[in-house]
Amino acid sequence: MPDLLLDIKNLHVGFRIFEGNLQVLNGVRLDVGEGERVGLVGETGCGKTTTVKSILRVLPMPPARITGGEILYRGRDILKMGKRQMQALRRHELTAIFQDPLQSLNPVFTIGTQLRDIVGDSAIGQGKRLSRRVVEAKCIEALRQTGMPDAERIMTNYPIQLSGGMRQRVCIAEALSTNARLLLADEPTTNLDVTIQDQILRRLDELVDERDASVLMITHSMGVVRDLTQRLNIMYAGSIVEAGRTKDLLDNPQHPYTQGLMASVPKLTGEGISEGIPGRIPNYIEPPRGCRFHPRCAHRMDVCESESPPLFDVLEGHRAACYLYGRNT
Amino acid sequence: MTTRDQMQADLLASLKQKRRGFAKGWYKFSRNPLSVLGLVVLILIVLAAIFAPYIAPYPEHAKPYTNFQDGGKPPSLQHFFGTDRVGRDIFSRVIFGYRFSLTIGIVVLCLGVAPGVILGLLAGYHQGTWIETVSMRVTDIFLAVPPLVLALAITAMLTPNLTNQMMAIALVWWPWYARLVFALSSSLRSQYFVREAELTGASRLHIMFKEILPNCLAPVMTKMTLDMGIVILLGATLSFIGLGVQPPKPGLGTMVAEGAKRLPGEWWGTIFPALAIVVVILAFNLVGDGLRDVFAVEEV
Amino acid sequence: MSATPILTVENLVKHFPTKRGLVRAVDDISFQVGKRDTLGLVGESGSGKTTTAQCIVGIYPPTSGVISFEGSLIGVKFNRREKRLKQQIRIVFQDPGSSLNPKRTIKQILSVPLKVHGIGQPRDRLGIMSRLLEMVGLPPSEYLYKHPQSIGGGEKQMVAIARALATNPGFVVLDEPTSALDVSVQGKIINLLMRLGDELDLTYLFITHDLSLMRNVASRVAIMYLGKLCEIARTDEFFRSPKHPYTRMLLSSIPVVTEEEELLKPKKIVSQGEIPSPVDIPPGCSFHLRCPEALPICSEIDPEMQSLGEERVVRCHLYGDSPCNR
Repeated sequence: MPDLLLDIKNLHVGFRIFEGNLQVLNGVRLDVGEGERVGLVGETGCGKTTTVKSILRVLPMPPARITGGEILYRGRDILKMGKRQMQALRRHELTAIFQDPLQSLNPVFTIGTQLRDIVGDSAIGQGKRLSRRVVEAKCIEALRQTGMPDAERIMTNYPIQLSGGMRQRVCIAEALSTNARLLLADEPTTNLDVTIQDQILRRLDELVDERDASVLMITHSMGVVRDLTQRLNIMYAGSIVEAGRTKDLLDNPQHPYTQGLMASVPKLTGEGISEGIPGRIPNYIEPPRGCRFHPRCAHRMDVCESESPPLFDVLEGHRAACYLYGRNT
Repeated sequence: MTTRDQMQADLLASLKQKRRGFAKGWYKFSRNPLSVLGLVVLILIVLAAIFAPYIAPYPEHAKPYTNFQDGGKPPSLQHFFGTDRVGRDIFSRVIFGYRFSLTIGIVVLCLGVAPGVILGLLAGYHQGTWIETVSMRVTDIFLAVPPLVLALAITAMLTPNLTNQMMAIALVWWPWYARLVFALSSSLRSQYFVREAELTGASRLHIMFKEILPNCLAPVMTKMTLDMGIVILLGATLSFIGLGVQPPKPGLGTMVAEGAKRLPGEWWGTIFPALAIVVVILAFNLVGDGLRDVFAVEEV
Repeated sequence: MSATPILTVENLVKHFPTKRGLVRAVDDISFQVGKRDTLGLVGESGSGKTTTAQCIVGIYPPTSGVISFEGSLIGVKFNRREKRLKQQIRIVFQDPGSSLNPKRTIKQILSVPLKVHGIGQPRDRLGIMSRLLEMVGLPPSEYLYKHPQSIGGGEKQMVAIARALATNPGFVVLDEPTSALDVSVQGKIINLLMRLGDELDLTYLFITHDLSLMRNVASRVAIMYLGKLCEIARTDEFFRSPKHPYTRMLLSSIPVVTEEEELLKPKKIVSQGEIPSPVDIPPGCSFHLRCPEALPICSEIDPEMQSLGEERVVRCHLYGDSPCNR
């Protein structure tokens, strides 16, 4: 088994609001190995962004509280790290791309200024001071590698002058120029046109490959993870309900939720669209007891209403959190 | 056909929803201890002003009264804030003085806010037409003159008294609301729900007052609360200069002016009325801050 | 055409003069929608699909061209259209978050079209609204008094649909109705729309960028790129053999989830280049800079729409009666 870069163990996170206590993350178990590409798929409100923010420790802590679990990065618990250690981690090891590049890029600085900041800072962090010319060259090279046309001119542009696809390429350039080991990509192409999305994802694939970095790709699109990831986790209502090798999982989903999801995706083969999954995502203040999916599940049994199922082994390297596949001893 | 039972159920459900909204608003407000403090102080001041004749120890001192023997006494148990030159109890006069201040605040805002909001709504919805141009340029003209100068000019032209003072300040105040609501209204105009109402065929009146205005209320109310403090200060300033509440009436600004002649010896004549002004402004500001939190959209 | 066309668009042009230049959002398009059909209008950013919908619905008056609905000309802005038209042609917007007024209850929101068009007596309107909500599957006692922010995206869209249907329309424009929704909710909404379309005899103009969705929903598909129509065909024909190079690029870029779908995609046409800005449209055929099959003529002459048989048109020099093919 390759070394685990990131290992989230039984993470519980809650939010305190007017109506009560939102128990958002309910025992998330997830890992990413060295050089691996792992997907995290889930719909709105399942907790995927909360998970990313927990890893980066950017959750607003007054309403949010971490009520249990660990996030291990190379064996050390991120949740227990001090400010300095966390900063070093964010500088050298972790990097992230988010959904809306307009929010990630500072509108009042040129692309060049922002990129130079990051490239220069990253070098300083590694104990080197680079001359201006070298920094400039590195920036332009980083942009070119993302497939950006006319990189020199882009350096002088402001984010608002670029198209959505180009902005996202800038964000990718920023993210990968730090030589980080783990890239967290939170819906990086959701807002982009499909032909541009295709280009960018393929580029990202190549760049990550070259650097032998790891990726945790968070998205709601099954199609995106199919081409890009080796392993996949399906998330529902704050926990992982199915995990396995991507192609295996998508071709042969075991958990009723995943099956419902796969049936809902419109297919090019034209077999019509299923009615979706009945019911709604649960109320996080008073979540269902036991398996959080049971109110919507056609295969519900008595045991589902009392205890939350762990991930059972279904097939080789393929696990599902469902009592159809095992029982607690 | 809706039965009477159904209409009753309908009414009950609407009320329940409103109550819930209010409870949630209170929760958000009460998480700010300072805002709650401000609210408590404000309620006390308002109650004191309303029941002034019953609360003030010497209510007759707010009317023309002289007793030179008691003049110039420092703060004591009989006179919490001391007495002024003419022997009047300052504490009682301050309580009555709050009546003037609060009246100025409320009347000015009522007079000034409503026309400002309506003009801003009209201009914002008709952005790009002559209606907007005319409205906003008129607003700009009023905004270009410093508020104090304009108020001074108006009250100096007319007889200085409370009524004219209020009218003057109201005239100075409405443009800020016009501008605020104009900005809100013109940005809301492009929202899908406004488009939808237009496409359905709703009248312009409906769109302005039923679709756009409800979305402007929160910033307007917050601003009104924060403005109360400034308006009260402006009123006190006019009185201080002699163009507002005239002696022997106990306007707070008037009292500060009278007491200022006796500084630094008989400091209580000026300091206490001045502090009273500070307290009421602070209270409004704290409540305004709390309101801002109430209306802020929460993201989880 | 399955029946008489209910909507006809001829040579529609919509230009927006801006400081940066003339935005040619819609540049001479023509198509028809048959009664009870669902025409899918597909395109990426800058394609002009939303602007087309906006002209049909009356948000903008066309710069030139003709739009006719059930025989009458309607190419004017909404405030100059007769009331009957506002009742007949309705739209469901893309973003449920901003298409419902956050400060009003659902009851108030639904009452607007009823009041404006005088539907039902005032005291009957509560009943009408309840029935509308039931039609879309939302229990009225729960939902009438809620505000939009306390219901989910899917439910908001259902309210938007109920609102659109409140005036008993014949033609509904659906502008990306499920793009902002999760896939498990999308199915519910789409099936609802299809069912209602059948029950109420509705004609739909379905705008989206999701071709997989289109495959399962539309009876005919029209592809737009930079303000022009590239191809129109019946759905099964279209997916079986897409003709226009842009269409093929689009199809090959879609992320799919099964092997079978992967096999259905045209052989890998690597998408290249950025979509040009509508202010800066390339000369000749607007797609030629990105087209893997571009011919010399493509950079000079803009192709005409060629008919390739029944209900099939393509606008490309590779086909039909183009000068280079003679």
